[in-house]
Amino acid sequence: MRSATLRRAALIAYAGLFYAFLYLPILLLIVLSFNDSQLVGLPFQRASLRWYAEVAATPDLMRAIRNSTLLGAASAIIATVMALMLSLAFRVEFRGKDLLMKALLLPILIPGVVGGVIYLVAFGVTGVPVGLWPAALIAHVTWVLPFAFLTLYPRLHAFDRSIEEAAMDLGATPWVVFHRIVLPLIRPGLIATAMFSFTLSFDEFIRTLFVVGNDRTVPVHLWTLLSEHMAPFLPAVGVIVMTVSVVVSLAGFVIAHSADRWRDGPKP
Amino acid sequence: MSQTTDSQATKQSDRTALLALPAAVWLLLFAVAPLFMLLIMSFWTSTIFGLSKEVTLENYRVLTQDPVYLLVLLQTLRIALTVTAISLVVSYPIALFLASLNGSRKSALLLLLFLPFWTSYVVRTFIWLPMLGRAGLVNSTLISLGLIDAPLDWLLYNEAATHIGLVYVYTLFMTLPIYLSLDRMDPRLAEAASDLGAGPLRTFLRVTLPLSLPGVLSGCVMVFLLACGAYVTPQLLGGTTGLMFGNLIAAQFTHTNNWALGAALSIILICVVFVILILFGRRVRLDDVFLRG
Repeated sequence: MRSATLRRAALIAYAGLFYAFLYLPILLLIVLSFNDSQLVGLPFQRASLRWYAEVAATPDLMRAIRNSTLLGAASAIIATVMALMLSLAFRVEFRGKDLLMKALLLPILIPGVVGGVIYLVAFGVTGVPVGLWPAALIAHVTWVLPFAFLTLYPRLHAFDRSIEEAAMDLGATPWVVFHRIVLPLIRPGLIATAMFSFTLSFDEFIRTLFVVGNDRTVPVHLWTLLSEHMAPFLPAVGVIVMTVSVVVSLAGFVIAHSADRWRDGPKP
Repeated sequence: MSQTTDSQATKQSDRTALLALPAAVWLLLFAVAPLFMLLIMSFWTSTIFGLSKEVTLENYRVLTQDPVYLLVLLQTLRIALTVTAISLVVSYPIALFLASLNGSRKSALLLLLFLPFWTSYVVRTFIWLPMLGRAGLVNSTLISLGLIDAPLDWLLYNEAATHIGLVYVYTLFMTLPIYLSLDRMDPRLAEAASDLGAGPLRTFLRVTLPLSLPGVLSGCVMVFLLACGAYVTPQLLGGTTGLMFGNLIAAQFTHTNNWALGAALSIILICVVFVILILFGRRVRLDDVFLRG
């Protein structure tokens, strides 16, 4: 009994260390983003918002934020629609389904760097110009699609098909069944998938770097700033990027989970 | 009567399958075809006049003759392996801890586990610069504790920093599948073992650990693959000694402008990935690794 308590205490202490490892660098970044010092580092001089003001006053950064938001929204919509159609198709058997599944996993399994240069090669050979549209959009949709499918398909697979069958028996056309029954049921899942896809695209770097040309997304802009020197406003940029991703992800998470709770009924 | 409904159902299901078409065409054009172009280009050569489209094994010959490529590849595999091992050691206890909780505390700690990973890995990598740099948190803490007089220079820009960064960026992909396999385990199994007289260590080694192995395998394969393709972390934190194969590939496209050689290097890295997937891929549960909440 005594040793069990001891083991438990050790595990809790370890968990404390683990979460400190996860959060200490993030907390430091937040603190440094408010540090009124030309040097990115300690000691902490004085609290100030000057780096955030500088970010807001830098057109390059604001343009990068706008680019990333547009690219994220476009990628999320295209990938979610295709993932929805694919998930509906995957509920029936058809030839080449296994092969399609393998092709779908390619973008996840190909190493990140290769996933970037592969488009440089392909677009170079076929003459697609580099830049945000359509080069980066193509790269992003391809990257996001498998994740959108993996998020959406289990939700579509899980619910009771007898409702749809009943509607069909009563003479509803497939479109009516989809529009009136399937869509309302999976709408929260769809929204969550789109939000997840948005953050994946918003944060994407290595698959963007090589094809984005002279355009700038936030991570690519951050990267070019980093390779020059450690500019004092970088922590503020990091905090802004982090806030966007975390807020959108958290919203998607809450929507998906509250929908699950509603669907599964109150927990005993 | 039943025959007509059957054929109607078949027709219906054929039409449903057509919904896969947009994604199938997209993947063919933008995932499969680029891979073939990469393969073809790896048999071309880059010259000062541009690409020579004559098919040759020249790039692969260069790769076998210049030892630097093999050395960096081996170094990359070694780093990926140690990063995987460290992630496993770091993640297993926390997975065990999370699986032992229940109720709102479990949800809260799981959410806290996800949160840092919901942001760009460029940000998650570069936050280690102010942690380990000369004016960083580690150095200033050590100085204020009186343990050192001057800031340590060797915390950054080497293989160790690459390791820290990679473990930090990818550890969720280890923790999550292990946690899920432990969480799915019937707690009565461990209870039964201890009722039958097995000590805690024996119960862990004979019951808990074997049942969590599918999660361990999924996590190890995924972290290893992600680490093999790393570019950002070694570039930002690794200095010159901690470089990896991904940096070598990128350099052919950004610096030396030798696309054909870069394509050949990419094909080598893809082959490494595919060998690992052929060996272990069947048992990897991707949906566990990439679960989002």
